[in-house]
Amino acid sequence: MKIMLSNRKTNSCPSVIKFLDENRSTIFSRTGGWFPGRGVYSHGHSMLDDLVGKKTYFQILILNATGKLVEKPFADWVEAIYGCLSWPDPRIWCNQIGALAGNAKTTVIAATAMGCLATDSRTYGVLPLVEGVLFITASLKKNELGASAKTIVEEITSKNKGKPYIVGYKRPIAKGDERLEVMEEISKELGFQEGPHLKLAYEIEEVLLKDYNEGMNINGYMSAFLSDQKFTETEVYNMFAMLVASGVTACYLDTFHRPANSFLPLQCGDIAYTGSPIRETPDRL
Amino acid sequence: MSDKRQHEKVQSRNENFADKVASKIWLEKPSEDNPYITSQAYCHGYDLFDLIRKRNFSDVFYLLFRGELPSKHESEILEALMIALINLGPRHPSTRAAMNAGIGKTNPTHILPIGIGVLGGEYLGAGNISKTMKFFSKNRKVDASKILSLLTEKLEQEGNHEKYDDICAENTPGFSKVYGGVDILTTEIAELLLEYKGAGGALKWGKQLSSLLEPHGIGWNPTGLASAIFSDLGFQPRTGACLFQLICSPGLAAHGLELANKPITAMPYVKDENYVIESQNK
Repeated sequence: MKIMLSNRKTNSCPSVIKFLDENRSTIFSRTGGWFPGRGVYSHGHSMLDDLVGKKTYFQILILNATGKLVEKPFADWVEAIYGCLSWPDPRIWCNQIGALAGNAKTTVIAATAMGCLATDSRTYGVLPLVEGVLFITASLKKNELGASAKTIVEEITSKNKGKPYIVGYKRPIAKGDERLEVMEEISKELGFQEGPHLKLAYEIEEVLLKDYNEGMNINGYMSAFLSDQKFTETEVYNMFAMLVASGVTACYLDTFHRPANSFLPLQCGDIAYTGSPIRETPDRL
Repeated sequence: MSDKRQHEKVQSRNENFADKVASKIWLEKPSEDNPYITSQAYCHGYDLFDLIRKRNFSDVFYLLFRGELPSKHESEILEALMIALINLGPRHPSTRAAMNAGIGKTNPTHILPIGIGVLGGEYLGAGNISKTMKFFSKNRKVDASKILSLLTEKLEQEGNHEKYDDICAENTPGFSKVYGGVDILTTEIAELLLEYKGAGGALKWGKQLSSLLEPHGIGWNPTGLASAIFSDLGFQPRTGACLFQLICSPGLAAHGLELANKPITAMPYVKDENYVIESQNK
């Protein structure tokens, strides 16, 4: 058999090939690594000498996600908010994936990973935190240039036919957010002061409550608090990647131990068919 | 923190959720004695048994996402694309992820989700498809030489080859340097598919653009090829990302499974002397 090879030129850039060759069998890391007999390093810290047993898991998690070794009170705050954002209720979309996975008898790791994946969502979960941080940081800049909270709100509502579509405010399913007062209390206990982002976030909430009867949600609080702590939107996204894991695991286990197909079983007629009427299948031409 | 703040009282919105989820895709008729068991199934109105008897896989694949059966030419080019992209090869990041799962003795049912997850990335992956389909939709009536001028100007301004991928992704999604040059395999597959009667406007325009880009070391990449054909077949940009994951998935599974029974030493493991922690060396 004759093998035909293309004689077409790739017109490649020699410097790129050189760069690729330099990386071909070498790992260059800006994070860390494990060297048997020498140690394990993360962002310049020896994990076994400096971190394990001396820093909390959340301090290490934040270090790996952002490169910043934070003080324990901040890591405790992040840990607390993880508890606020992962509940064992299978009606929440990511948790329902866990429950369905349990019903389908997957492994717990598949269930938890898939539930976490679902929070890469424009509607809920981790991704809206990016928008939340961008909103409050941009708003503070406007505020420092003289825009009031009311002006900031009106600027948005005027673009949305009068609707207060502001990330970090209003909430699906329920009005109000029971987590705010809990986290405010925890923040106080941990010694945090309200920074300029959070103060503005509260001013915006006052406007929204007065004009639209809608308040802040936990995203708004988190975004402002974390912006005051000088974390960027990307760092926030990174440090909350597995935010909902424990709630998904809980929902998985609840259904895993029940009979298969018993989680909200659907009859054929429970799907409302709205498609084409039944029709003859033509033969292939 | 200041004194305790007052927020809204928490109460359910009691929103009006649908009683049933609706679907235009699939109808399941229940058996006479058990409403949970399907006796007959229909895809967009066509009996599943008739589809099994009368149509091939690519016809029903098209039907599932478009709601109608394809024409002969549409079916042929879709099937050709499905073969062309059945395996992105063992060096693609998604395949390497699947191979890592295989060699690591990960539960075999996870090999495919792991590979497909990585295949969702924006670089040579499904994450690039929607943007690329919109690029075709917006520019297919534009003189391709204008796109070339814009791109080459930006590349010359940049100078740093590490930024080339970003610049191509921004200005000519679906067309890029791959490993520093033209992906000639994909280019020649595109040329082969152009010979099909189902080749449409996006694929033809893409060929014009790729010919202009080729002397600059830039060409079709698999996401561009897939996006052009998906556009010509009338798929929506959001759908395209999932289609790309679907049609590329067989190779992921095959390569992952190929290593699933081999020892971990069957894959390279970078030696410590070839592991450089840059921050500690600075």
